[in-house]
Amino acid sequence: MDNVQIGRHISGQFNEDLERVINNVMHMGGLVEKQLTDALAAVEQADVSLAKEVLTNDYQVNAYEVSIDDECTRIIAKRQPAAGDLRLIMAVVKTIADLERIGDEAQKIAKVALESFSSQQQDLLVNLDNLGRRVLEFLQASLDAFTRMDCDAAIKIHQMDDKINREYEALMRQLMTYMMEDPRSIPQVMTVIWSARALERIGDRCQNICEYIIYFVKGKVVRHTTAEDIKKL
Amino acid sequence: MISISPKALAPGSDTSFEKKLDLTNLTPDQVALDINKLNLFYGKKQALNNITMSIPKGQVTAFIGPSGCGKSTLLRSINRMNDLVDNCHITGEINLHGNNIYDKHVDVAELRRKVGMVFQRPNPFPKSIYENVVYGLRIMGENNRRRLDEAAEQSLRSAALWNEVKDRLHESALGLSGGQQQRLVIARAIAIQPEVLLLDEPTSALDPISTLTIEELINDLKKQFTVVIVTHNMQQAARVSDQTAFMYMGDLIEYSDTNTLFTTPLKKKTEDYITGRYG
Repeated sequence: MDNVQIGRHISGQFNEDLERVINNVMHMGGLVEKQLTDALAAVEQADVSLAKEVLTNDYQVNAYEVSIDDECTRIIAKRQPAAGDLRLIMAVVKTIADLERIGDEAQKIAKVALESFSSQQQDLLVNLDNLGRRVLEFLQASLDAFTRMDCDAAIKIHQMDDKINREYEALMRQLMTYMMEDPRSIPQVMTVIWSARALERIGDRCQNICEYIIYFVKGKVVRHTTAEDIKKL
Repeated sequence: MISISPKALAPGSDTSFEKKLDLTNLTPDQVALDINKLNLFYGKKQALNNITMSIPKGQVTAFIGPSGCGKSTLLRSINRMNDLVDNCHITGEINLHGNNIYDKHVDVAELRRKVGMVFQRPNPFPKSIYENVVYGLRIMGENNRRRLDEAAEQSLRSAALWNEVKDRLHESALGLSGGQQQRLVIARAIAIQPEVLLLDEPTSALDPISTLTIEELINDLKKQFTVVIVTHNMQQAARVSDQTAFMYMGDLIEYSDTNTLFTTPLKKKTEDYITGRYG
C-alpha cells in the first residue's frame, strides 16, 4: 500500500482497524478472483462439480461483504474519519459492493457448465472463454491496483473495459447469426448470451473499482466522465 | 444545483448541492473582515506569520490547528484583545468595512461593540440574568425600561435561552448550568447588536448535549452575524462552519470551504492534522 499510509495515525487502534479492513478487502478480492477463474474453467472443461463448487462458495463472498460493511460502519461511528481516511472507507464500501456483484456474475457463468452443448456448439464456448480471459485479466489488474492504491495503474487499465465491450458486441453478433441459422440452438445460445452479458458487467464493475482508486488517491470523482478527461488527471 | 450535461461530467466538477464561495475572489459586499499581511509578535517571538485572508459576511468561519498554532491569537487580534498583552507588536491590517482596525484613531471600545467575543469558560457577571444581558446597553446609555426589556427578550430568544429562564430573569446568573451560562454570555454579546461574533472555544467546558445546543445556536446566529470560531474539536468545526482555516506554527496553511477541507484537503499538513496522523 504505497499510497495508503495507514500506519501513521497517533491512534494505534485506528491503524489496526483500517489495516484489518484493507486486509479483508484483499482476501475478498482474492476469493472473487478464484470464483471467476473456477467458473471459467468449469465452463471450458464442462466440469459440473467445479461449477457446483462455485455456486456453493458464493456465500463466502457475501459474508465478506457484510462483515467489511459492518466494520466500515463501526469505523465511521467511532473514528469520524476525515480526508484520506474518509475517502478510503468510502472507496472500500463501494468496492466491496462491486466485488460482491462480480461474485454473483461468476455464479451465472458457472451455470453454463451445467448445460450440455453439442460438439458443433463448442466454438460458442471458445469465444466465451476468450472474453472471459480478458475480463479475468482486467479483474486481476484492478485488484492489483487496489492493493497498491496505484492511481496511475488504475487510469491505465480503466480503458480495458472498452476492449471488452467491443469483444462483447462482436460475440453478440456472432451469437445472433447462430440463432438465425439454427433456431434449435436458441436455448443453448441464450445461456451463452447471459454469461457473456455477465462478463461484460464484470468489466464495468472492474472499471468502477478503478474509479474508486482514482477517487481515493486524487480526491476527484471521475465517474461518468470521459476516458480523455481521466487521462488528463 | 447539480450541473447536468447531456454527455459526461468533467472530472472533479462541482456536483454538490450547496453553493460554494470563491474565497480568493469575494466581492466587497461579501466580505466581513479582510485580514492583510498580519504579523504578530509577542516580544521577539513571532506568533502570526503574514496572515492574509478574507472572512465572508453572514457565515461561520472556523480556525483549527494544534495548540500554539496562533488560532486564538488571530481571533483575539480581530477585536484587539492583544492590546492588553505587554510586548505585543502587530504589523499589517485587519479591515472592517474597509477601515483598518489598527489605525491610530480607532476607538477600541467602539470596535469591541461591533466585534463581540465569547470565551472558553462562561463568565457571567455576578448579577441577575436580566442585568447580565442588558449590561452592554446600560453602559451605552440606554435606560428606557421598555427597550431594555425588549432587547433582553430578543437576545435571550436568539441565544435559545428564553424559554428556560423567562420565569427567573431576576435571579442570579450564577445559578444557571454551564451550558446555560454560556448561552447567557452569547445573549449578552449579541444584545448590543455586534456585526461580528468571535467565539473562542465556546464549548470546550461543556457537556455534549450543551455543546450541540450551542452548535445549533451558532447555525442560527449566522443569519444575523458573521461568526468566527476557534475550536480544538475538529468535528465541531466540520459541523458548524462554512469555511475552515487550518493554522500551524503561526502560518495559515490552508483556508477553504469546510466540505472541501474535510474531504479533500490540498496540503499534506492539513491532511495529517485532520486525520490524526503524526506530522
